[in-house]
Amino acid sequence: MRDKVIDIQNLVKTYQISEEVSVHALRGISLTIARGEFVAIMGASGSGKSTLMNILGFLDTHTSGKYILDGVDGIALDENQKAEIRNRKIGFVFQGFNLLSRTSALENVELPMMYRGDAEPREMKRKARELLAMVGLAGREHHHPNRLSGGEQQRVAIARSLINDPAIILADEPTGNLDTKNSDEVMKIFTRLNKETGITIILVTHEPDVANYTDRKVVFRDGQIMEDAPIAKAAPRPGRKRP
Amino acid sequence: MNFQNLMRTAIRSLGRNKMRSALTSLGVIIGVASVIMMVGIGNSARVAVREKIFTYGSNAMGVESKKRTFTMSDVEAMKRAIPSIKFISPMVGKTQVTAKYQGAILYSRIRGVNNDFFKIKEWPLKYGRYFTEQEILSREKIVVLGNTLLDELFGSINPVGKVMLINNIPFQVIGCLAESGQAFSGKDQDNLIVMPYTTAMVKISGRNVFNEIFISTFNEQMVEKTEASVRSFIREDRGLAPGTPDDFNITTSKEQLQMAEYISQTLAMLLAGIASISLIVGGIGIMNIMLVSVSERTREIGIRMAIGAKKSDILLQFLIEAVSLSSSGGTVGIIIGLGVYYAITVGVGWDFLFSTFSVVVAFLFSCAVGVFFGYYPARKASNLKPIDALRYE
Repeated sequence: MRDKVIDIQNLVKTYQISEEVSVHALRGISLTIARGEFVAIMGASGSGKSTLMNILGFLDTHTSGKYILDGVDGIALDENQKAEIRNRKIGFVFQGFNLLSRTSALENVELPMMYRGDAEPREMKRKARELLAMVGLAGREHHHPNRLSGGEQQRVAIARSLINDPAIILADEPTGNLDTKNSDEVMKIFTRLNKETGITIILVTHEPDVANYTDRKVVFRDGQIMEDAPIAKAAPRPGRKRP
Repeated sequence: MNFQNLMRTAIRSLGRNKMRSALTSLGVIIGVASVIMMVGIGNSARVAVREKIFTYGSNAMGVESKKRTFTMSDVEAMKRAIPSIKFISPMVGKTQVTAKYQGAILYSRIRGVNNDFFKIKEWPLKYGRYFTEQEILSREKIVVLGNTLLDELFGSINPVGKVMLINNIPFQVIGCLAESGQAFSGKDQDNLIVMPYTTAMVKISGRNVFNEIFISTFNEQMVEKTEASVRSFIREDRGLAPGTPDDFNITTSKEQLQMAEYISQTLAMLLAGIASISLIVGGIGIMNIMLVSVSERTREIGIRMAIGAKKSDILLQFLIEAVSLSSSGGTVGIIIGLGVYYAITVGVGWDFLFSTFSVVVAFLFSCAVGVFFGYYPARKASNLKPIDALRYE
């Protein structure tokens, strides 16, 4: 058994809207993800998958239960320590890309390393260039996001997520704003990353085609896990033309 | 994030809104410029007043006795008795006299004196000459005019040799004094008619006594001693018993100087105080724009926090932006303030006094304005929750 990157036991998240009204976004879920897994989290909107992503990403705290990321229990950490975990252990890829505007692709990629504080500038530049080349954007280093297509922006975001060698990549609907061609390309990059570097990738999506790129599917409904199963690899490999 | 990168980030985001950044700095620019200007002008004015008082004789003093009068023999006796007196002049004064020349009329004042008066006041001539001893003895109807009378009555004509009416008595102009400007009190020192005291006694006051005496000593160090000698001389002369108060006043330049210094210092502080209000207004402008900037860039803050920016990183980023705005405004303000101050000193003819101290203080103060007014918006930014900031549209 490979070691656990994510270990969740009985995780509960309740939003207190007012004194009487509370929303149970997560109703006691348990989930473990091993190092090197490529997991799709699926479910309709409101099913709790985004809440889980926020908790996984140390952007939000759970109400009760246990969540351990790469050996770190987040519940006792202060804001600064959480920022450090986000910085070093987690690579975020968002639906809306979330690149800094009017900042070059290269500088966007460098940013997490800059916040890490111990980066040597030349090494930082070298690594950022290497990552951009890996996502197929060599030569576009100095382009600003407004001169990049959606797919290209998302590839910059992937490069950014990798610069601090995180334990996991959290991708929240990474293909949600992309057309078929570009989402295929992004998913191929994720697949390649997972296979070649063995990095753990957790991806939220509601598109089955996107989920088919992954190895394991966790389906949420009403704050609970409905289904947790490996993706059948006998089926034709994804990447086929969708209608 | 290290300081260099924070600095770069802050400068870059200011550069994105060049117009806005410039306008925001404008408040601080105006504030610092006016403080620098006002402090400079205050200092220059002080020096100018000081010089003026020294020009009027740092060795000079005036004796004034309202109730009892002096006579010419008092003056002569005093000069004989006190060796440190270099020059001494009686002063037969009259104010609100009418001076007329060819239809032009001006209210002026008369100073009936001897030739020592000009030496005590160290007052050079513009035209003509001073009196001769013979003219004083023979009570000639001659006058030396102050520059204001020249301007008001004669315009551009050289008045020497012209005859004018003073209280409807004809006088011949024999000289004109150089301009000396306003006294610090605002009194026009050039609006005066100087004539021999003998003439003034006969034609103007109608008495052969007077209330004022001007004295000068050989140097500044003698002033105090001479003042004491003059005091005891008059007291003795008038037979004032020890313990009774003086029935006369002695005024020295030193007292005037202290007074003027006090007034100009107070004025300079007042001006600087008013100017620093505009600096505070400038600071509020910075705070306002930083608050707008924080809410505009909420999403950016969210992104930065998601990828690992600590609270302190965000706080410093915005604080550095605010301080950059205020300190660059301060720098520009110092340059403009010094420029305007220089122009004014050239225009008015004062000395330009560059003070490193006030420049350094103005710069540090403008930085402090940035920290003070930038802290609240920066704190607001750093206290955003990453998840809320990311969702912000």
